[in-house]
Amino acid sequence: MCGIAGVVFKDRKLHPVGDALTKMLNALQHRGPDSAGFAIYGGLGLEKNEYLLNIEIKERPGLLDSVKKTVGSTTPIKKEEIIPSVENYIIYRCKIGLNSFSELKPLIMDIDKIDDVIVLNGSHSFEMIKDVGLVKDIAARYDTPSKRGTHGIGHTRFSTESIVDRYHAHPFQSYIIPDITVVHNGQITNYWKIRDPLERKGHIFETTNDTECIVHYMANKLSEGYSLEEALEQSVKDMDGPFSYIVGTPEGVGIAKDQLGLRPGVLAENKEVFAIASEEVALREVMDTSEIDQISPGEVRAYTI
Amino acid sequence: MSEFEIDADHKTPREVNQILKQSAKKNNKIVIKNPNAMHYIAAGLTEPVELTIDGSAGYFAGTMIHGARIHINGNAGWFPADNMTEGEVLIEGSAGDGVGQGIYGGTVVVKKDVGSRTGEIMKNGTIIVGGNSGFMSGLFMMGGRIIVLGNISDDAGESIIRGVIYVLGDIKSLGKNAKVEDIDQEDKKELEELLTTYGFTLDRDEYHNFKKIVPRSKRPFYGKESEEG
Repeated sequence: MCGIAGVVFKDRKLHPVGDALTKMLNALQHRGPDSAGFAIYGGLGLEKNEYLLNIEIKERPGLLDSVKKTVGSTTPIKKEEIIPSVENYIIYRCKIGLNSFSELKPLIMDIDKIDDVIVLNGSHSFEMIKDVGLVKDIAARYDTPSKRGTHGIGHTRFSTESIVDRYHAHPFQSYIIPDITVVHNGQITNYWKIRDPLERKGHIFETTNDTECIVHYMANKLSEGYSLEEALEQSVKDMDGPFSYIVGTPEGVGIAKDQLGLRPGVLAENKEVFAIASEEVALREVMDTSEIDQISPGEVRAYTI
Repeated sequence: MSEFEIDADHKTPREVNQILKQSAKKNNKIVIKNPNAMHYIAAGLTEPVELTIDGSAGYFAGTMIHGARIHINGNAGWFPADNMTEGEVLIEGSAGDGVGQGIYGGTVVVKKDVGSRTGEIMKNGTIIVGGNSGFMSGLFMMGGRIIVLGNISDDAGESIIRGVIYVLGDIKSLGKNAKVEDIDQEDKKELEELLTTYGFTLDRDEYHNFKKIVPRSKRPFYGKESEEG
């Protein structure tokens, strides 16, 4: 089933986006208990060409050192943090500097070659938090409510086609362009038809999860010069199946819903906030309004700051 | 008339419905406070009580009720009044997809816009939408009536078999087996009585503007029309 949510604070100033998304996702917890995740944009404050890596590492002697050595062979580690997670894993977070964005994906692929290690994400302008379990537990583990930003997206997962682990928790990210994320409720039934041309262009797929397919599709469209809204509109025509998904970029968020309207999506907006979610109960966590828009079949809505 | 109040805050839908069904045996009027768009409120309620949901309801509000009159002082999610057999569900705000899905009787009123597939597979009963109704309204409708005071979106009356959809605004497109007919004096009288009852005030002239969507055939997919009794 899955629950999706997105929020934008229109004044471009920093707000408690982590707290807002935690409340929204907690209200949607009944839609999926397997994992949850957040992409909180605008609050990291990194310098140009600085990136934050989130790396899942199994608790085994020497493994963390191997990861540090691999990262250090490319660039010095500027700052680091270890967050204990569940099932004998830790999350190693480190801040690094690169010469350009194009070096990020190759570095991630190098780190991924180490057994029992996987890079959950690497970002410049947003903070990714995703893990297995319930929203409230994940939010407490990563102190999500304290995270500030301008906007963000989130997800609570009821898994269907792929396994439950941290990497398959949403949001999914693509490295075709910097800092694009997707959360998704539904299934893309023409998955291979979408994936094949993207792979032939050289884009790398790490999973067979359809949400990864959406994020690469969207990133590819944005890299071709589509606006967020135009890319969403084209995606609704190209994707088959029941779906609603929310896309996050450094500039804003947007939602798309399938042409038969088989997955839910609602929206509320006032002068300060733009909010989208699977259900009204989530919107009410960030806005005191009774005016709720139902996203229509095939409709897209976006807000950029 | 005895009244009872239920505070839904920090309760599960199951807990709220258990209290509701117990209290409905002893009270005529019940108010649910702090519903916070909770799903399944009043599911399967068969006592003929007057229930006020003081806020928004989530999915399946009033599903399978028989005889209750439910007033929602907010919005409703997907499938309000689903499979209702008798009673009334009145929604002051907007509602999601599948309003009145599969109803056998009773009346559903939504004051503002609704989502897609309004009244799908409904067998009887009445659905009134004060605003617009979305994609495939009246899908596989098998009886009853839908009245839309705003516009109706694409594929209206898709595969409609029986029943009627009255539309005051624009019809974006018709579904398979649907056609538009002019309304007659009897239709106007029926609409005026019904809409006035639920507080929709239209000028008498406006009733002329209603269009009526009905099935082209009772046997659109197989069999013969003559076989229909």
